[in-house]
Amino acid sequence: MTIVQSAIDPITSEVIKNSLIYASEEMGIAVRNASYSANIKERLDHSCALFDRRGRLIAQAEHIPVHLGSLPWGLQQTLESLKARGDVMRPGDMWVVNDPYLSGTHLNDITVIRPVFFQGNLIGYAGNKAHHADVGGAVPGSMSSDARELFVEGLIIPATRIMQSDQVVEQTVELIRANSRSPEMRSGDLKAQIAGNVTGERRMLELIERHGIATFEAAIERFLGESERRLRTVLRELREGTYIAEDFLEVPSGEPSICIRAMLTIKDGTIAIDYAGTNRQLELPINAVFGVTLSGVYYAVRAVTDSTIPMNDGCFRPVTVMIEPGTILSPIRPAPVSGGNVETSTRNAQVILQALAQAAPERVSAMSGGTMTNVMAGGTTKDGRHWTFYETNGCGMGARSTMDGIDGIQCDMTNTLNTPIEAIEQQFPLRVTRYEFVPGTGGGGRYRGGCGLVREIELVDGDATFVLLCERHTLHPPGAQGGKPGGSGRNVHAKDGIEYKIAGKATLRVCEGERIATYTPGGGGYGDPLKRDAEARRVDEKNGLVCS
Amino acid sequence: MAGKTRVGIDVGGTFTDLVALDEQTGELTKIKVPTTPLAPEQGVINALRAFCEQAPQSKIVLVSHSSTIATNALLGQVHLELPRVALVTTAGFRDVLEIGRQNRSEVYNLFVRRPKPLVERADRIGVVERLDYKGNVLVPLDRASLDAAVEQIAKTDVRAVAVSFLHSYVNPAHEREVGQALRERLPGLDVTLSSDIDPEYREYERTSTTVVNALLRSLVTVYLDHLEREVRALGINAPLYVMQSNGGMSAIETVAKRPATLIESGPASGVIGAAYVGKELGIANVLSFDMGGTTAKAGTIFDGEPQVVGEFEAAGRTHSGRAVKGSGYPVRFPFIDLAEVSAGGGTIAWIDAGGALRVGPLSAGADPGPAAYGKGDQPTVTDANIVLGRLNPVALLGGKMPIDAGRSRRAVASLQPALPELDVDRIAAGIIALVDNEMAKVLRIVSIERGYDPRMFAMMAFGGGGPLHACALAEQLDVKRVIIPADPGLFSAFGLLAADIRGTAVRSILAVSTELDPKRVETIFREMEAEGREELRVQGVAREQMVFVREFDVRYHGQSFELAIHAGPIPDVVEAFHEKHERTYGYASRGDAVEIVAARLTSIGRVQKPTLPARAVSEGSPPPSGTRSVYFDGQGRVETPVYYRMRMLSGNTLSGPAVVEQYDSCTLLPPGWRLRVDAIGNLELSR
Repeated sequence: MTIVQSAIDPITSEVIKNSLIYASEEMGIAVRNASYSANIKERLDHSCALFDRRGRLIAQAEHIPVHLGSLPWGLQQTLESLKARGDVMRPGDMWVVNDPYLSGTHLNDITVIRPVFFQGNLIGYAGNKAHHADVGGAVPGSMSSDARELFVEGLIIPATRIMQSDQVVEQTVELIRANSRSPEMRSGDLKAQIAGNVTGERRMLELIERHGIATFEAAIERFLGESERRLRTVLRELREGTYIAEDFLEVPSGEPSICIRAMLTIKDGTIAIDYAGTNRQLELPINAVFGVTLSGVYYAVRAVTDSTIPMNDGCFRPVTVMIEPGTILSPIRPAPVSGGNVETSTRNAQVILQALAQAAPERVSAMSGGTMTNVMAGGTTKDGRHWTFYETNGCGMGARSTMDGIDGIQCDMTNTLNTPIEAIEQQFPLRVTRYEFVPGTGGGGRYRGGCGLVREIELVDGDATFVLLCERHTLHPPGAQGGKPGGSGRNVHAKDGIEYKIAGKATLRVCEGERIATYTPGGGGYGDPLKRDAEARRVDEKNGLVCS
Repeated sequence: MAGKTRVGIDVGGTFTDLVALDEQTGELTKIKVPTTPLAPEQGVINALRAFCEQAPQSKIVLVSHSSTIATNALLGQVHLELPRVALVTTAGFRDVLEIGRQNRSEVYNLFVRRPKPLVERADRIGVVERLDYKGNVLVPLDRASLDAAVEQIAKTDVRAVAVSFLHSYVNPAHEREVGQALRERLPGLDVTLSSDIDPEYREYERTSTTVVNALLRSLVTVYLDHLEREVRALGINAPLYVMQSNGGMSAIETVAKRPATLIESGPASGVIGAAYVGKELGIANVLSFDMGGTTAKAGTIFDGEPQVVGEFEAAGRTHSGRAVKGSGYPVRFPFIDLAEVSAGGGTIAWIDAGGALRVGPLSAGADPGPAAYGKGDQPTVTDANIVLGRLNPVALLGGKMPIDAGRSRRAVASLQPALPELDVDRIAAGIIALVDNEMAKVLRIVSIERGYDPRMFAMMAFGGGGPLHACALAEQLDVKRVIIPADPGLFSAFGLLAADIRGTAVRSILAVSTELDPKRVETIFREMEAEGREELRVQGVAREQMVFVREFDVRYHGQSFELAIHAGPIPDVVEAFHEKHERTYGYASRGDAVEIVAARLTSIGRVQKPTLPARAVSEGSPPPSGTRSVYFDGQGRVETPVYYRMRMLSGNTLSGPAVVEQYDSCTLLPPGWRLRVDAIGNLELSR
C-alpha cells in the first residue's frame, strides 16, 4: 500500500476535489440542456469527466456506468494514437472520436475531448461521451444485429479536430451530419457536447486561478490516494481467496454458447481478475472493446464495496485485469462491437458480481434481467420523412439479501430514463400499445426478483426496419443462495393478426399496422422460496405479480 | 396604539414562528412556539393565541401561514397517513405510475429502493380507450370495461380516485366521461382528472401529479377546515391564506382543489420575503440564501421576479443541491426554484475511511444538537463557529441558551488524530471552508447553472446561520453586496406578509410557430383568464387588483425541454425564445422551427404590501459592546469588536473585522468588508 505524502493541507484538497466533482456534474447539465435528441435530453444517455494532465481520471459525474469506466481508457488510447500520427492537442482544440478501438465503447458513443491549458501549459482534460441515436451504417440506429465487421456499424471517426483556435471546424460537423440518418440532431448534440466541455474547462481554470497550479496538482495526488485507501480498506473486509464464475451470451439462434469466464482473486486489499477461458472474438456485434470490459469490472467492484468513494484514478489502482487480446472482451480490430457495449458489458459485470458473491454473498444481489433490451427502429413515412429511434428497456432487478428486487427498472451497466410514450408519439410514427410488468417473471425466493416489462410498439405510418438486441431469451437470470432464476425474455412480431415469436437478436422489416413487442426478463430470487414471508406472498398475489 | 396588523406564521421543523406587522407603527411582534408535529395546526393556534393576548383580534386584517403538512404526509409521517386511492388508466398502461422513468436513483447501490408506489397495483385499473397525440379517438371508451372499473372500486374502501389517460392533455373527453360515471354511480367519491390538474404531455409526470393531489386532498382539507374553525374561535375574522410552493398565497377553499401546491410552502416564503425587501431597496436581482440548523437553501430573484420551475420531486432526496431523479414523487406545478443542501449549524464534521475531513450530510439536528449545547459530542458547524470566536462563546438567543465552548473545542479536537498537521483552529476553519463550499454549490446551481451571472446579484442572507457565512460565500461567487434583513431568524414568517395571491393554469397547444392560429391562442387565454378571474374573485380580490400574466412554453421542434416566454405577437415570442435559449444554453438555432408547447396563465391578486417605516438615524460607528478573538482565514486570530444589532441605528457604519450579534442570528463582517445600516434597518455589507 502506498500512501501519497504531500505538502497540501487536507481541507484545500477536499475543497478542490468537491469542486471538481461539482464541475463534472455541471458539465452533464450543460450537455443535457443544450442537446437536441430525445436520447440525450430525455434519457440522459451521456457522461462527463475531468482528467489531470497525465490523463488520469480526477472527477466524474454519476451518469452511465458503461461510459464512465471507459472514458479514462479511451482518453489514453486517443492520446497514444495522436502521438503515433505525430499530432498533439493544442490550446483552443476540441477533439471528437468514436472509433471504439480508441474511444472505448461503440460507434454511437461520440466522445468529445477538450485539452485544458493554463498559461500555455497543459493541465488536464475535460471529456464527455454521448450516445448519438444514428451514426450511419447498415441499419437505422447503427447497431446492426448481423454485423460481421466494424465497418457496417456506422461512420468511424478517428481522433479529429472539431474545434481549432476555439472555432468549430464545420467540415468535421458536416462529415458527421452527412453520415447520419438524423443530421439535424447530430449537429445539435455535438454543440451540446462542446458546451459541456467548455463548462468543465472554465471550472478547472477557476480552481487553478484561486489555488495556484502547484496546490491544484498536490490536491489531486492527495485525493486520488484517499480514494485508493478507502477502496483498499473495504476490500480487506471481503473474504480473501480465488473465486471462479462464468456465464453465457446467446448467439442469434438462441444457443447460450458464448462464454465469459473470470477467475477473481482477492488478496490484501487488491482484486486481480483473469479472463482465461473467455470466448474468442466472433463475427457478431457482441464483442466488447477493452474499455467496456474495464467499465464492467469497475462497476461491480464499486457496487460491492462502497459506492460513496469518490470515483477517480485511485479506485483503479487496487484492481488488475488480465486478458488475452482476440477474445470477446478484448477484440482485435475490425471485430464488430455495437452490442458489446450494452449486452456483453452487462454480462461481464454479472460474471464479476457472481465471483464477488462467493466472497461476500450478503453484499451481492441475485442476478438482474441481464439485458438492456435494445430497440432500434428507423424508416420513412408515406410523406417522405426519415426518422430513427432508439431506446433500451428495464428488466427485473435481482433480489437482495434483505429485500425484493425492483420490478421493471434499468439495472447494472445502464441507467437511462425511458422516453415518455406521449413524447414518442409526438415525434415518431410509432404508437406504444402496451407497457406494463410481466407477472410471474420475478424469480422466487425468500426475497423475490423483480418482474420484467413488456413494451409493444406499433408502426403507424410507412415502412421501417426494426433491430432488436436482447439477451436472456434462453438462459434465465440466476437466483442466489437458493433463490429461483428469473423468467426469460421474448420478442413478438404481430402482423396480419398473427403473433410470431422472434429471436433475441433480429433485424426485421415492419409495415404500417404491425407491432413489435419486447418482453424483458425478470430478476433472480434470493434465498429459499419456502422462507418467504406470508404477508409478502399475499401482496404478490393481490397485485398479480406471483413469482416463477 | 395598535393599527391594522398582518400576521404571518411559518411552521418549521422545531419552531413555529409568528411575525405580526403593525402597518401604522411599523412595529414587528415576534412569537416563537414549539412546532406540534402530530397536529401542526395546534402550533399555529398556540402562536395566534399568544399574539391575541397582546393585541386585539379585530385589528388583524390578514393571517397567512405556511404549512409542511403535505410534505410530511408524503414522507410517511405517522398520524398523517395517506388514504387509499385508486388509479384509472388506459388499459395496458396501469404500471406507468410505478415504473416511473425506469431509472434507479443510485447507480452503484445494489440495495437501492424505489419510492413505494402511491397506489398499489391491485388498485390501478385499466379501462379500454385510446387517443392519438392529436386527440383523435383511436379506440372509443369501452363501457363494459368502465363498468368493471366502477364495480371494482365500489367493492373497496377507496374514497378517492385519480384518472389519467394517454394524451388526455389534448382531449379530456374520455377522462370526463369516466369522472362523470364515477361521481354518478359512487356518490361521495372524490375524483381527480389529470386533464384538470396538469394538462401537459409526459404521462408519468402527469399521472403522478394527479395521484399526489388525489392523495393529499382529504388530509389537507381536514387540516385547513380545522385550522379555520380554531382561528374563527379565537375571534379572528380576517381572511386566512396559505402559502403555495409558487410563492403565492391562496385562500384555503382554493388550495383544497390543488393540495399539492402546498408541498414547498415553507421554503417559498423566504424567497418571497427576499424579493419584497429587494424591491423596497430598489435591487432587481437577488440571490436568496437561507441557512438553518440542518439545511441551506438558495433561490434566485431576477428582475424582481422569484424564479420558478415547473416540476418538483416531492419527498425525494437531493444530492449536492440537486434533486435526485427517481427518488421521490414528481409533481408538476410551479415551484419557487430552490436548491437545497444538507448543510446547517447542526451539520456534523467527521473523518472518512480514507482519512479525509468531511462535513455532512448527517446533522446533529435539534437533539442532541451541537456539542456546545451540552448533549452531543460530535463536532458540528456551530461548534466550529464557536471555536473560531465567530459565534458568542458564552450564550446564544440573547443569553437564554448557555454555550459550553470547552465542549465545542473538545469535539473539534477529537478530529485531530486524523489531521496531525493541523491545529484546532485550522480544523475548525477547515470545517467552515468545507461547509461553505457545499453551500456555494447551491448558490451556483440557482445562478450559474440557470444562466445567470452571480456578479449581477446582491445576496440576501437569512435563517439563523445565513448572516454568519454570507460574506465568505459572496467572495466565492464574486458577489459584491450582501443584505442582512432586520430579523434574519424570522425572515420566512416575514415573507408571508409580503406575498400576493397567485394561481396558475396551463393548456396544451403543440403547434409550430408558423402554423399557430392566433385566434385559437386568444380563445385559450381568455378561457383561462375567465377561470382565473373567478378563482381570484372567490378569494376576495377586487377586480382592479387582478393581474394576469400570459406565457408560452416554447422549444425548438424536436427538443423536449421548454423555456417560458412572455406571450405576445408570435414573431416577438420566437425572437424572445431565441434570445433566452442563447442566454440559457449558449446558442440559438435561428434557422430551426420553433414550437409552442403550452399556454400558461398566472393569475395574480395584488395584495397591498406592508410599508417598512424608516428608523431612527445616526452617523458614524456605535460603540462596541466588547471585543473577542476571532479567527479569519489567512490572518489567524484577530481581536475583533462585537456590536449589538439592537443598538445600531440607520446610517451607522462599520469596517471589518466586526461581529454583529442579535437575538437569533449573528453577522460576521470579515476584514475588507464594510457595513452600513440602511434606512429600514437592513445591514448592507459591501467590499
